[in-house]
Amino acid sequence: MSFTRDLGVLLWKELLDLYRDRRTLFTSILLPLISLPLIGFMGIALVEQQPVLVAVVDLDNTTARNQLLNITVSSRWLAGNTTRILEKFGYNVTISHSIDIVKNPDIDVALIIPKGFSRNASSLNNTARVKVLRRAGVQAAVRAESTIYSIINVFSRNISDAKLNAVIRLLGLNATIPALRNPVTARTEVVGISGQPVSRAIVLRNAFARILVLAFSFVVTPAASYVIDGIIGERERKTIELLLASPTTPQRIIYAKLVAATLLGLITALADIIGLVVYMVSVSIVSGVPFGVIIDPLLLILHSITAFFTILSTISIALPFITRTRGIRSASNIVSLVTIVALVFFFTGFFVDYIRLPSEILIPLYLIPFTHSILVIQGYVLGYVSRALIHLAVLSIASIALLIIASKTINTEKLLIAPL
Amino acid sequence: MTGRDMLVVNDLHKIYDDGTHAVKGLSFTLKQGEIYGLIGPNGAGKSTTLRMIATLIKPTRGSIYLNGVDVVKEPLKARKMIGYLPEEAEVYPRLTGREHLLFYARLYGIENIEETVEYGAEISGLGDKLDKKAGEYSKGMKRRLLLALVLMRSPQLAILDEPTSGLDVYASVRVRRIIKEYVSKTGHSVILSSHNMLEVEYLCDRVSFIINGKIITTGSPSELKARYNALNLEEAFVKAVEEHG
Repeated sequence: MSFTRDLGVLLWKELLDLYRDRRTLFTSILLPLISLPLIGFMGIALVEQQPVLVAVVDLDNTTARNQLLNITVSSRWLAGNTTRILEKFGYNVTISHSIDIVKNPDIDVALIIPKGFSRNASSLNNTARVKVLRRAGVQAAVRAESTIYSIINVFSRNISDAKLNAVIRLLGLNATIPALRNPVTARTEVVGISGQPVSRAIVLRNAFARILVLAFSFVVTPAASYVIDGIIGERERKTIELLLASPTTPQRIIYAKLVAATLLGLITALADIIGLVVYMVSVSIVSGVPFGVIIDPLLLILHSITAFFTILSTISIALPFITRTRGIRSASNIVSLVTIVALVFFFTGFFVDYIRLPSEILIPLYLIPFTHSILVIQGYVLGYVSRALIHLAVLSIASIALLIIASKTINTEKLLIAPL
Repeated sequence: MTGRDMLVVNDLHKIYDDGTHAVKGLSFTLKQGEIYGLIGPNGAGKSTTLRMIATLIKPTRGSIYLNGVDVVKEPLKARKMIGYLPEEAEVYPRLTGREHLLFYARLYGIENIEETVEYGAEISGLGDKLDKKAGEYSKGMKRRLLLALVLMRSPQLAILDEPTSGLDVYASVRVRRIIKEYVSKTGHSVILSSHNMLEVEYLCDRVSFIINGKIITTGSPSELKARYNALNLEEAFVKAVEEHG
């Protein structure tokens, strides 16, 4: 019988079975659909909900005036304003004048304003030093600490401005405060490969592309699980022997399962993209950048095609091992090794610009198909469109070659009586 | 009612990768229109032999010819003439009985699909239940459906490994009736294995006792009973096993 006819009949059975397997479909769609929005929203929501107790300890509790400079500094002002701002950000703040409060284990962050603070801060030859105590291992305390540092910086800058103003006035200098305080400044401008500045929307789009690389992780796992179930599960459910006895080859049976798995992977990728779009819509609303500018339809199409070949190469690498294992558990363990390698690549692709790696590192990595998956997305986003297309071509050729090699290792007896 | 030799098995051996010598030089022939039974204890090599004839396992040595076709060298050609029912076969729980028939009819490249499916439906005797998902069937109904999948396209050789294994009395009787009717209607051949001596006596024209991968004796049920001076086939089998150590 012809290859296409056999494949069509086998695929009809696979897809009918998959269509009626609502649990698999539901989990394959739901997982990627909710993963990224959930990580984003839950992350923000839960961080906001973490109770952080801050103590503002004013051991100085004085107001000092420098007559020469005509400035007044008050530790009470700093303690009061710090409390108000922290409360505005949702922190629970307690003001105290005793250091004993830091012994309370519930206190996560403490701002200690020492004795002599107002006098030193208002003087011309001393520095006022405050101390911030942060409880080790409390993640949310880092945010409170950062807020306190911002308040201290603003407070310090205001005093500095007042002091410099007074000095300029007293000495009769022709000077400005920024020239005295920040004689050297730096500014970053984000540019594209042409050297032209890029908009904030482009920066956001690039961030979106990094998430797309990470999103490959969500599509390879369900597809690999489906293949395991399709081969080992069919053996365990005792349906494969009758199928293997039919006048088709085991390769065609496996191809049909791989095509069904890849289609499932594409459905997963689609759900993944919908999840990403939902996430990016929220980013668009928060950032004020129009949604249409962030989402590039061509990038989404490229992502889908790359996802297809990434799934195909993953399951092709795993296939010779899957067909030689006795049970679903051992097959899953072996496939986990392949998917973990994929996850390592996609996770590092979120942080590392593979396209910028030196050739002595990048060229050996070309042997791994996942490198090309990453380079398709990163290359396109950075403007190297032709390079992106070359990597897509390499990925597609490699995945088909891997599939052909994997299919050569399959035979009926091995499928029926697994040696491992 | 038997004719020419349609299956010729000669000096068949199977040694698995782990060194197990499951089949040790089996030779036998099966005539057209004959029902031939392989009887032996668990691990005797019956299923391995049937799987080799069904082209699922390659023999280590020996030959199998089906209507002149070398089964080992031309497995796909041989499969078109074979219908194989494994001992522990199961159905796809999310597919209906009719979809099973349709799937296998298409997979075998049958031209008159509708007619074949209707014949399969008739063999199974499942009636209206054929349009229900097979996962809802009883064990007996599943076995009848599987048997229909194997027999609906009238294979010249039906290989049935423990066809009534695990079925109750009524279900077993129905399955035996299907096998008997199939042979009498089509004139094709059946090779089966079974632990049930009554079944073998009822169905088979010829029987071989197989122990440790070797055939120790062959004959019709009445010949074997006479040879071992036994009242029934079970007694003949026990005596044959004792005689051959």
